[in-house]
Amino acid sequence: MKWRMSIGVCTLFLLMACVSARGEETHARIIYDDHATEVSSANVDAGQLWITTVDLKRATGFALKPQGVCRDELCFPLPKSREQEFVRNSSGKTWFDLMAFARLVHQPVAHDEALATWYFGLRSDQRQGLSSREAPDFTLPDMNGKIHSLSDFRGKKVLLLTWASW
Amino acid sequence: MPGWQAIYQQLKDKNLEIVAVAQDTNGVQDAGPWITAANPTYTALIDERHVVSKLYNMVNVPTGVWIDEQGIIVRPNETAFVDDRFKNFSGLDSAPYLNALRDWIEKGDKSIYRMSEERLREKLTVNDPDVILAAAEFALGEHVYKSGHLHEAIPHFKEAQRLNPKSWNYKRQAYALSDAKRDYGTTFVDEVEKAGGSKVYYPPPDLTPGAAGKDKRPQE
Repeated sequence: MKWRMSIGVCTLFLLMACVSARGEETHARIIYDDHATEVSSANVDAGQLWITTVDLKRATGFALKPQGVCRDELCFPLPKSREQEFVRNSSGKTWFDLMAFARLVHQPVAHDEALATWYFGLRSDQRQGLSSREAPDFTLPDMNGKIHSLSDFRGKKVLLLTWASW
Repeated sequence: MPGWQAIYQQLKDKNLEIVAVAQDTNGVQDAGPWITAANPTYTALIDERHVVSKLYNMVNVPTGVWIDEQGIIVRPNETAFVDDRFKNFSGLDSAPYLNALRDWIEKGDKSIYRMSEERLREKLTVNDPDVILAAAEFALGEHVYKSGHLHEAIPHFKEAQRLNPKSWNYKRQAYALSDAKRDYGTTFVDEVEKAGGSKVYYPPPDLTPGAAGKDKRPQE
C-alpha cells in the first residue's frame, strides 16, 4: 500500500517534471520570410519554440529530410551529435525547435511574449548577397498592385532609390 | 519625385531604369498621394515592410544604390538628392551626385565613380549582431502595429532604435506612426541635434575619384 502510494506520487512528480520540461502547448504566430502563420499547438520554453513538422512546412516551407532541413535546393544539415536539440517525437508527431534552427543558421529572432508572436529575420544565407556585391533581389507591388522584381531589370543599369512620406 | 522624372527623361534611352521604393508602413495610404502627384513613368514601388532597407542595410532616406546590367552593385548606399529643396537643412548640393550618375550612365565600368570591390565590401558587410537583430525587432514592431496594436509595437521599435542607433528609418517611421514626444520622449529635430546635426543625418556622398576609381589602394 505504502509502496503503491509512493510510486503514484513519484509518477505524478515525474509527469509534472515532464510537462514543465516540455513547456505548455499554446498558440503561436510565426512570421517567416515576412509571412505570418498561425500555429495552434506550439511548445514554448526558455529560448525554444517547438512546432510539428507539419506546421514547420506550413510556416516556413522547410521540411525535415535525411540530409537535413530543406526547402527546394536549400538544405541545412543538422549536427548529428546534437540532433535531439532540434527534433523529437512525442504524441505520435515529430516536433522541431524553430529557435534552435534559427541559432544554427544565424537567424535573428524577435519575440513578443504577450502576443505570442515570433519574427524570424534574414538567415545568414539571405544576407550573403551584400558581401558578394550581388544586388539582393526583392519583389514588391506598385500603387496599382502590379508586382515587380529588381531582377526584371537585368540588362539595364538601375538606380535604386528609397524614399518615404514621413 | 518630380526631379527624378526629369532625370529619367534625360537618361532612360541610355539603358537606365529608376526603381524608387517607398519605405512606408502604411503603404499606398501614405506614399500614394506623392506618387500620384509626381506621376512617374519610372518604376515606383510600395514597401510597407521596409524590405529594401533591410536587404541593403540602409539607414535613411533618400538613399541611392547603383546596380549594373549584371545585377552587381557599383555604388552602395549613399545620400541621393535630386534637387536642392533640402539644401538649407542638409547643406548638400545635389549637382555632384547627379553629374556622377550621368558619368556612370555614359561610361559604365570606365566611370571614375564606379567603386572598387574592396571599398564596396567594406561598406556593405554588416557583421554586427545587434544591427542584424535590430532589423528583426523593427519588422516585428511593424507586424504588431499592422495587426492593430500600436501600443505593443512601441517596445519593439524602441529596441530596434537601441540596437541600431544609426538607423534614422527606425526612428522616423516609428515617430510617424505615433506621438514621438509622448511615446519616445523625443522628437526628430532633437535626435538630429543629439547626433551631431544635419551633416551626420545626411552624410555627403564620397565622390572624390580617388575614393571610387582605383581597385587597389595607393602604396603607403
